[in-house]
Amino acid sequence: MMHGFLAVFSRELRAYFVSPLAWVILTFFLLVQGYVFSLIVGFLTDPRAVAGPTPFEIFFGGIFLWLTLVFVTPVITMRLISEERRSGTIEALMTAPVTAVQVVLAKFFAAFVFYAFLWLPTLAYPALLSRDTSVDWGPILAGYLGVLGIGGMFLSVGIFGSSFSKNQIVSAVVTFGCLMLLLFLPWAGSLTQDPQTGELLGYMNLLDHMDELGQGIVDSRRLVYYLTTAALFLFLSSRALEAKKWR
Amino acid sequence: MIEARGLTRRYGDFAAVRDVSFSVADGEILGILGPNGAGKTTTIRMITGFLPPTAGGVWINGKSLREDPLAARRQLGYLPESVALYPEMRLEEYLAYRARLAGLGRGEAKGAIDRAVDSCLLGEKRRQVIGQLSKGYRQRVALAAAILHGPQVLVLDEPTVGLDPKQIIAIRELIRDLGRERTLLLSTHILPEVEQLCQRVLIIDRGRLVAEGTPEELRAQSASATEVRIAFEGEVPDAGDALGAVDGVDAVLPGDGHLRLRCASGADPRAEIFRLAVERGWVLVELSQRRASLEDVFVRLTRGQGTTQDPDGAAAELDNSHGTPGDEGSEALGPNDTGPGPEDPVDRSGGAAEER
Repeated sequence: MMHGFLAVFSRELRAYFVSPLAWVILTFFLLVQGYVFSLIVGFLTDPRAVAGPTPFEIFFGGIFLWLTLVFVTPVITMRLISEERRSGTIEALMTAPVTAVQVVLAKFFAAFVFYAFLWLPTLAYPALLSRDTSVDWGPILAGYLGVLGIGGMFLSVGIFGSSFSKNQIVSAVVTFGCLMLLLFLPWAGSLTQDPQTGELLGYMNLLDHMDELGQGIVDSRRLVYYLTTAALFLFLSSRALEAKKWR
Repeated sequence: MIEARGLTRRYGDFAAVRDVSFSVADGEILGILGPNGAGKTTTIRMITGFLPPTAGGVWINGKSLREDPLAARRQLGYLPESVALYPEMRLEEYLAYRARLAGLGRGEAKGAIDRAVDSCLLGEKRRQVIGQLSKGYRQRVALAAAILHGPQVLVLDEPTVGLDPKQIIAIRELIRDLGRERTLLLSTHILPEVEQLCQRVLIIDRGRLVAEGTPEELRAQSASATEVRIAFEGEVPDAGDALGAVDGVDAVLPGDGHLRLRCASGADPRAEIFRLAVERGWVLVELSQRRASLEDVFVRLTRGQGTTQDPDGAAAELDNSHGTPGDEGSEALGPNDTGPGPEDPVDRSGGAAEER
């Protein structure tokens, strides 16, 4: 039963690396991350800087991480189902002996591998720093764990967004909207009067999660939150793909 | 073996297909005809499992598409109406992807790809990127992908659209070969193609099955029976009266340089006419019988009921389909298919009938 998954996964992954959009994303992603990291390092090496955070606490906990995630993940996923529906290739795909779940999972993992590939070169930053100073790898790995976990969750939302429309732009905007909710609703939750709602939303506060991970604090409940949310959106996507396959 | 029972598809209040049932046996080629918007593609999409029916069901070799979708789809090869491929892939890579998707192992896939590439005449383009291929080639790539895994049941929606005459002959030959052992469902706009390839025909109009049978049976249903066309050397002023008296001739209609004799159903007065001509010393330069064509049947059955309300509209639509580039081949095919345009269906239908 793996043949369908593998066929779609490898085709999808290959499609990323031959598409110009992917290389544009990669270029800008690295430009932005590189610039941000150099700013952080520059700021921290200033003799007048207050002692305290490590560069990676700022790198993983800062606003640039969220800007990147919220803009980059919809662009990575917008094509996945929309394009099959627009071009009509979905007809051959969904009449082949594969299930909707296999198709969705294959597309998700292809997107995830591409996303991980985007981050791969940023491992050079701690490596560079480690030549001149001592680097604590624990928090860095925790940070990457968060980047992959939250990124995977965002990508699953992206596939869900992509299953809504034949139009990639619409898909990206729907995804962007969902991500904004996922990101800022819990944050706004700190304003609520109701203590229980506030506590619940507090658990879902991704901004706090990344702050903690950047400091090396790994809370398994958070990983469970990412995994279950991703599973939920992937399940919804497969239902949407089945229900709308006639369009 | 395809079995469709009571297929119905509703979009809100509108029923695109209503209670369509039929079956296709192994070794049979069944053609689906119908004006644009009649529900052909909707029917085909339900047969292939792309579109779940509102009511009714489909069985592919006894496997229900609803109960056992993967097993049913494994037996199925499908060429969709809109040929959609991934433009960034090479032809070979695409076929390898489709082979894998269909569940072929690496070893099996290689042989299957070679065979499909050969039978769809794609040899010289194997390494080409699909986005750079012409429409005719892409059509054949999609066909190759449909037959790749050797499915027992094939559903082809307009397989010869966009091909040049030579390719059309080759692809029809391929379809005929495939149809010998497999179950083949074919949708097409090209009526001569139906007459050449299909053992049985369904005519769908406004979502309903309006006729079913062999092309022969359908022709027999046609109201306009047979017609004999006759032409003489020089002027023969008294021919009309004399011919009108021949047994089986109902009416004599003057034509441009010839006469058309409308005959009673089943009557063949040609031998009698020949004897009469010899007796009177007329020099015959033409004496031919024209049987009702599928086109007549089609126009009559779907007249005033299709998407266009007036009968001329229906006829015009058919004529149009003969004028599309994809159809050029069919005009240039048989020996009798070369000359006549759509306004002269006489020779064409005769030719198509002979070829069958």
